[in-house]
Amino acid sequence: MTTATAASKDANPRGTGIAARAQQLTKAYGDGETRVVALNAVDVEIARGQFTAIMGPSGSGKSTLMHCLAGLDTVSSGRSWIGDTEITGLKDKELTKLRRDNIGFIFQAFNLLPTLSALENITLPMDIAGRKPDQAWLDNVIDTVGLRDRLGHRPAELSGGQQQRVACARALASRPEIIFGDEPTGNLDSRAGAEVLGFLQRSVRELGQTIVMVTHDPNAASYADRVLFLADGSIVDEMHRPTSDAVLERMKRFDAARTS
Amino acid sequence: MFKATFRSFLAHKGRMALSAIAVLLSVAFVSGTLIFTDTITKTFDDLFKSTAADVTVSQKSEQSDSDLAVTGQVKSIPVGTTDQVAKMPGVKAAHAAVSVENITVVDSKNKSVGPDGGAPTIGLNWYESDRSPVKITSGRVPQAAGEAVVDADTADRKKIKIGDSLRVIAAPGTTEVKVVGVATFTTTNPGATLVFLETAAAQKAFLGSTDKISDVELDAAPGVTHEQLKQTVSSQLGAGFEVKTKAEAAKDASDDIGTFINFMKYAMLGFAGVAVLVGIFLIFNTFQMLVAQRTRELGLMRAVGASGKQVKRSVVVEALLLGVVGSTLGLAAGFGLAIGLKALIQSFGMNLKGTSLVFNPATPIAAYSVGIIVTVLAAYIPARRAARISPMAALREASAPVQKPLRRRTVIGIVIAAIGVFGLVAAATASSAKNGGFMLVIGILMTLVSFVVLGPVLARTVIPWLGAGFPKLFGPMGKLSRDNSMRNPRRTGATAAALMIGVALVSGIAVFASSMNSSLSKQIDRSFGADFTVQGNSGGPMGPDIYQTVKGAEGVGTPVRARLLPDVEVTYPDGQTSKDQVNAVDKGFDSVWKLKYTAGDASQVGTPGSIVLDEQAAKDHGVGVGGTVKVTFPGGKSVDAKVVALREHVKGGLQFGFGNIPTLPISTLEEVAPDVQDFLIFANAAPGADKSAVSEKLEATLDPFPQVSVRDQADYKELVQGQIKVLLYMIYGLLGLAIIIAILGVINTLALSVVERTREIGLMRAIGASRRQIRRMIRLESIVIAVFGALVGLVLGLSWGVTAQRLLSEQGLEVLTIPWGTVVTVVIASAVVGLLAALLPALRASRMNVLAAIASE
Repeated sequence: MTTATAASKDANPRGTGIAARAQQLTKAYGDGETRVVALNAVDVEIARGQFTAIMGPSGSGKSTLMHCLAGLDTVSSGRSWIGDTEITGLKDKELTKLRRDNIGFIFQAFNLLPTLSALENITLPMDIAGRKPDQAWLDNVIDTVGLRDRLGHRPAELSGGQQQRVACARALASRPEIIFGDEPTGNLDSRAGAEVLGFLQRSVRELGQTIVMVTHDPNAASYADRVLFLADGSIVDEMHRPTSDAVLERMKRFDAARTS
Repeated sequence: MFKATFRSFLAHKGRMALSAIAVLLSVAFVSGTLIFTDTITKTFDDLFKSTAADVTVSQKSEQSDSDLAVTGQVKSIPVGTTDQVAKMPGVKAAHAAVSVENITVVDSKNKSVGPDGGAPTIGLNWYESDRSPVKITSGRVPQAAGEAVVDADTADRKKIKIGDSLRVIAAPGTTEVKVVGVATFTTTNPGATLVFLETAAAQKAFLGSTDKISDVELDAAPGVTHEQLKQTVSSQLGAGFEVKTKAEAAKDASDDIGTFINFMKYAMLGFAGVAVLVGIFLIFNTFQMLVAQRTRELGLMRAVGASGKQVKRSVVVEALLLGVVGSTLGLAAGFGLAIGLKALIQSFGMNLKGTSLVFNPATPIAAYSVGIIVTVLAAYIPARRAARISPMAALREASAPVQKPLRRRTVIGIVIAAIGVFGLVAAATASSAKNGGFMLVIGILMTLVSFVVLGPVLARTVIPWLGAGFPKLFGPMGKLSRDNSMRNPRRTGATAAALMIGVALVSGIAVFASSMNSSLSKQIDRSFGADFTVQGNSGGPMGPDIYQTVKGAEGVGTPVRARLLPDVEVTYPDGQTSKDQVNAVDKGFDSVWKLKYTAGDASQVGTPGSIVLDEQAAKDHGVGVGGTVKVTFPGGKSVDAKVVALREHVKGGLQFGFGNIPTLPISTLEEVAPDVQDFLIFANAAPGADKSAVSEKLEATLDPFPQVSVRDQADYKELVQGQIKVLLYMIYGLLGLAIIIAILGVINTLALSVVERTREIGLMRAIGASRRQIRRMIRLESIVIAVFGALVGLVLGLSWGVTAQRLLSEQGLEVLTIPWGTVVTVVIASAVVGLLAALLPALRASRMNVLAAIASE
């Protein structure tokens, strides 16, 4: 098994320390003969200030890994941390607070509340927490995603790409420890997808944000600083400064392994 | 197709269950009412049939029993009638019977032993026959004067033992008796208290003389029909006697009790009506949502070849299934309700032990008709909508259904509202109550329909205002819940409509009732000129000894008596006659009961030989002060009376007082109808005496007469208002029912909203909304919908109530009182309703698994 602890070896100059970490993380469904292991004793560290992509074929456990790291899903055994906080064993109330204050999310679809305007959606996590957004930072984020003239619109009045950019802005606005993206460009055409990915990349490089993104698209993965490859519930490989082609090649080997 | 329908019905059990409860409630009220009233009717039919003699002979009187209850007159026939009739052919046996209603019997502590629920106390002579409703179960029969038997139910209730002393107070006076036996009902006890005396004693105590009896009960000889015997007896006895067969007597008795049963029946059917009305909205909403939810599924059915008609039919069949299930459950619940009503009526003293519930074929027919018609009717529009779903719907992305603009609805709604408002305004300004009444009905119907049509539009305009403070008060969840409740204005409108209708009906009646209350108060304030009144507790008349006692009481000035006598004919100088009730009063009436006299000398009211006429009647018949009219009494005696004053004509039936009837002096009545008793006695404290001291003394003096009460103006008001309170309690009952059904509707809507917004709620949870915040969001949404419904309902109901008051202001409903306490309570209650309705949906939303929610399709 490859242990992905090597962030320090190829340290990103902007990254200092660990944003999220997992130890022997195991997630299994069912019991006895019907037991299905989705994650098999995964050890992983996500370096701060890095753009990490998690790749793997369908059923490899990549979404489950992200959900467990983000505290959305419970684990069967093992431990995981966000920053210095261990999240395994936390109660729902504390987890909710952690998600609210320390984590940003971008989902594949249905990221926004239809009754709220773009701006209200962006500030929603802070509204929920009852905090005032940092206006200067908020302006910065809004300008970075380029949505200044769309702030008053409802999600229904925005294009798919714009909607995802609003979701990105929301994830960034509260300056979380880490942002998790679950196929954030899965529903977008390639141009809109490139826009969003470029923006995510910029937020890592320019704003120092930590992002973990699950994707099955080699092209999307190429925007990341580091790619983790998952197969059958284990991290089997990783790649730094990936290119689209290199990732594609690596993925092909999974297909080959599967068909052979 | 049917299989698919049935499956879908089962698949939506939860949603169907709430609708089924609505059907159940309506049907339960209908069937429960029918079962109960059928049971009571049959019980009494049986009772009267088993206790009535083959043929009964009594005094013929033009006056009905209710007339007699006012005058205190007692029907009697000469004692010799028994022997006279016994000799007639076809008579096997003749019994002399004494039976007098509305007597008062008190125990040694001066407490009445009569029923508490308003049923009569009946005095009888003891004689045994197959028809006796009771038999002696302890002690012995009364054999001499001063001995009495009471019925066992009364003995139980009032703890009367053999050897106890009772006082029997009847028209002729008071009789002291000792209980020697207790008799148990062998049939249903209709709730009355029975006191049996030995025959001669009963004649003296109840009829005042051993020369009189109440009636003769005849047994027919074998082979003689009741009808034949009646013919024989009535032809030989001649005028002055009333001869009834068993069937006729039983029918008359049943008719008397029928009035009471009918009142109950209509009150209960009122509840059923509210349940039906509110239920229709719930069912409509359920099907509307089911169809919307299943758009893709129905589209698929269309795509694979089902016709629009088939789709429509499948929805209607689903409604039919719901109707059948709901009606069946409702029928069962109706049984339960009937049992409950039986228990309730038993607590009023009616002994229905051993009576089984009567289940007429009409009951299930009515139950299923109501249940099925209501359901299918409510589901018809959603079914038609389902039929119009295009096959393309199957291919489209599942998304929130496109919302049609509300423009057409707004225009139609406003037109109907305009008609309704016109109707209300016309009613409020109408010159005659009759025309106005029609306009009021139009106005109420049209405004109600328009508010239902405009519901969604109102939701969109009222809710932002209603929830304006929400973001400030409750933060982002407040804003979200307010916005969510406006997301589907049609659904919000229909959900709130259920509560709206209930609140509108109830608040309308509440305005009416409180206006009536304060109007009567005002009238009492204006007319009540005496310090006290003395009146029979059951409204019954009072014997002469009471007047004498009041008159003799220390510190009391000359009392003024008032009596009533129905069926008195007045012949005017123009030859025309009118037959009406008259009242008779002592001189001084004008000062104890202040009415407006338009001509003549009011102080002359009650002077011997005088009469006071209604100004309208006087004008119509060309008679004025100083003129003479002829007054003919029941029985044929007549006198000439001189008109001394004319009294202002009052319109309508809500006037408090004696109405527009002629007023005679008591002296005239004493001449022509000496057995008519006092209906009301007014008394003033003597000049200089302390009112409250006099009141206390008067009460003490009247202690031996527990059948009467002394009241001052405040007490009198309380008495009158007490009767209105019964109406108010019923209103609150109706409100409660409407609210229960409305809760079901709100739960239904919220539950669906939560399901529809699964992803949204999951997202909010993912980005950090706590369970509490989610619960609060759903709760607030629910409260907004409920309060919206209540407010709109209040607007409707209050406008109806105000219109009705304006319309009837000429008829005596002169004061408009809006029960603000009730209004505020309704608003608060509706918020609580919202809170309660949100409990389960909110819990469900907050328990939602975040992952499942964001992963769901």
